[in-house]
Amino acid sequence: MPPVIRFIDVSKRYNLGLTRTSLPSVISQWAKQVLRGGNASARKYHWALRNVSFDLEKGESLALVGPNGAGKSTILKLLAKITNPTSGKVEVHGQLSALIELGAGFHPDLTGRENIYLNGTILGLSYKDVQKRFDEIVAFSEIEEFIDTPVKRYSSGMTVRLGFAVASCIEPDILLVDEVLAVGDASFRQKCIERIKTLLNNGTSLIFVSHDMGLVRSVCERAIYIEHGQVQQSGTSGEIIDLYNQVLDRRRIEKMNRAEGAMEDVEGGVEVIKVEALDANGNPVRETYGDQPLEIRVKYAAYKDIGKANAIILIYRSDGLMCANMRSHLDGYPLHITKGEGEYSVRLEPLQLFGGTYYAITWIMNADDSDGIAYGASEWFEVRNRVPGREAHIAVYEPNRRWSQNLRTAVTETARQA
Amino acid sequence: MIAQTNPLLKLRDLIWAWTLRTLRGRYQQSALGWLWAIVQPVATVAIFAVVFTRIVPVDTGGVPYILFSYTAVVPWTLLATSLPDMAMSLVQNMNLVGKIYFPREALPIAALLARIADFGISFILLVILVVIYGIPVSLPALLYLPLIFLIQIALLLGLGIGTAALNVFYRDVDPLLKLIIQVWFYASPILYPVTLVPQQWQWLYFLNPMAGIIAAYRDVLIYDRLPGEYLLPAALVSLVIFALGYWFFKRVEFQFADII
Repeated sequence: MPPVIRFIDVSKRYNLGLTRTSLPSVISQWAKQVLRGGNASARKYHWALRNVSFDLEKGESLALVGPNGAGKSTILKLLAKITNPTSGKVEVHGQLSALIELGAGFHPDLTGRENIYLNGTILGLSYKDVQKRFDEIVAFSEIEEFIDTPVKRYSSGMTVRLGFAVASCIEPDILLVDEVLAVGDASFRQKCIERIKTLLNNGTSLIFVSHDMGLVRSVCERAIYIEHGQVQQSGTSGEIIDLYNQVLDRRRIEKMNRAEGAMEDVEGGVEVIKVEALDANGNPVRETYGDQPLEIRVKYAAYKDIGKANAIILIYRSDGLMCANMRSHLDGYPLHITKGEGEYSVRLEPLQLFGGTYYAITWIMNADDSDGIAYGASEWFEVRNRVPGREAHIAVYEPNRRWSQNLRTAVTETARQA
Repeated sequence: MIAQTNPLLKLRDLIWAWTLRTLRGRYQQSALGWLWAIVQPVATVAIFAVVFTRIVPVDTGGVPYILFSYTAVVPWTLLATSLPDMAMSLVQNMNLVGKIYFPREALPIAALLARIADFGISFILLVILVVIYGIPVSLPALLYLPLIFLIQIALLLGLGIGTAALNVFYRDVDPLLKLIIQVWFYASPILYPVTLVPQQWQWLYFLNPMAGIIAAYRDVLIYDRLPGEYLLPAALVSLVIFALGYWFFKRVEFQFADII
């Protein structure tokens, strides 16, 4: 059976700025051009998508994952025929129903009842089809008592419920769902997920856009990661979610380091030059495992003799959870800093961190440990789990361990009597 | 799964739902409701009647001036109200056009249908007037009525769909259209009879399809005779405009969502 959706090398370009210029502004544009003598009217374009290709089979569910502005919504709009590709080809076989924006297709002055008919016919149903499904739609949306109230008086939650009810009750061959579900409450979301799963079982294909990775995981088998209008990676939703989380984590850490680096000063007479994570052989690592040793090494430069000092090294998980807090003087290891460059390090053997993205920061403290005099942070490093099925970030500690089991003979009637 | 039904059938249901929506929206919070469909042409005719019977008498060929002008004002009001509505129909529903796909022509067509409903109401009053004034109407002439109506619909559809599409690109269309309608009013035989136009200019005059359409309505309804050959240029021009408008709409339709 051919795929229900084929996206073949699709690119989409948008014009930025005014699409049509008025006569006065055209004249002023000309004037500018004449005065400058150059080609001032270089049009600005934005490529929302570049050479995107993917297929979707019948009954399959695909998530589009990526940061804001990556091009996910443009893909949905192309699929829904709202807009056309600049180049490439979009093939859609079957009836498609799109839940792209909250309340799109609802008229605020009309009642819920009238809107169900209006929206249903816009989505491609006949009047009779809507009539047949009317009760089901109302029951699903849970707005029975407000069905004859104008939609403008609905809460956003009620609107999205009605929208989802109409879009899903028409049992389309292909369902597109954008971020809208985030509006509903938890129980309604659960209901929507159930509904989507039922549709999937009945052969509907789904394309799902969400920033909620929990939703993506529970609804979609496959996912593609999109950034800058291009498909960066495709795989199972588990793989793509991991990738997405990593990208987010790295961004967060880089942003944090930049922000903190700006405040850096050498008032204390010492400066942290570099914080590195090193493997067993002393080579910098970006990726390691919890059962491997890890050394965190700090290079510093002192512009004067400081004498006694203390070092703190903290390991944070990307979401801000502090996982280790190590103070050199509490470990009976005070530093001694003299003018010039130097380094200190702490070795964790083995690392014993659970899979996730981490980074280390360090403080050089004054002699009585009352004030920090220098600060530095490492880049992120990735700790991987040995077992592929295990998800990142759901635990912190990966202990060295040994399982055991003792098998005793079963407690039988005779044993009990004895 | 939904059986794959005829897309035209679906379009029909969508147009119908949208027409009802437009009518409800228009008369929902008004005290007179659908009576407005009559109030406007009647008020217009009342003013004309005062001016053109008392101040500047017009030769109507023995027909009461009220009936003479009302016969023209009813089809003219359809044009003057439906064209701006159709021209704005896409732009006013940007949020819909930008977010959902449906056959875009549904919007201007529904805007026209909603005005045809008003036309129907004011036409009933026209029939009542014809009966009250005891104007004889022959059956063969009456058979022309649907034809005249269809010619006008073709004209309005072509113009309305075309301007609706053009309006997406240039918002100048709306004010320009209102200006054109104003001028067009005087270029059509509403206040005066066709016979007022000099014989040698009649061919040019009837290139305005509304001239032929209004003259034909008058011939059939108040002069008890068949429309003359002037109806032919009206029909041809209307058909050409219909074809051009539809062609243009289809040609630029795919750009609507990006520009709106």
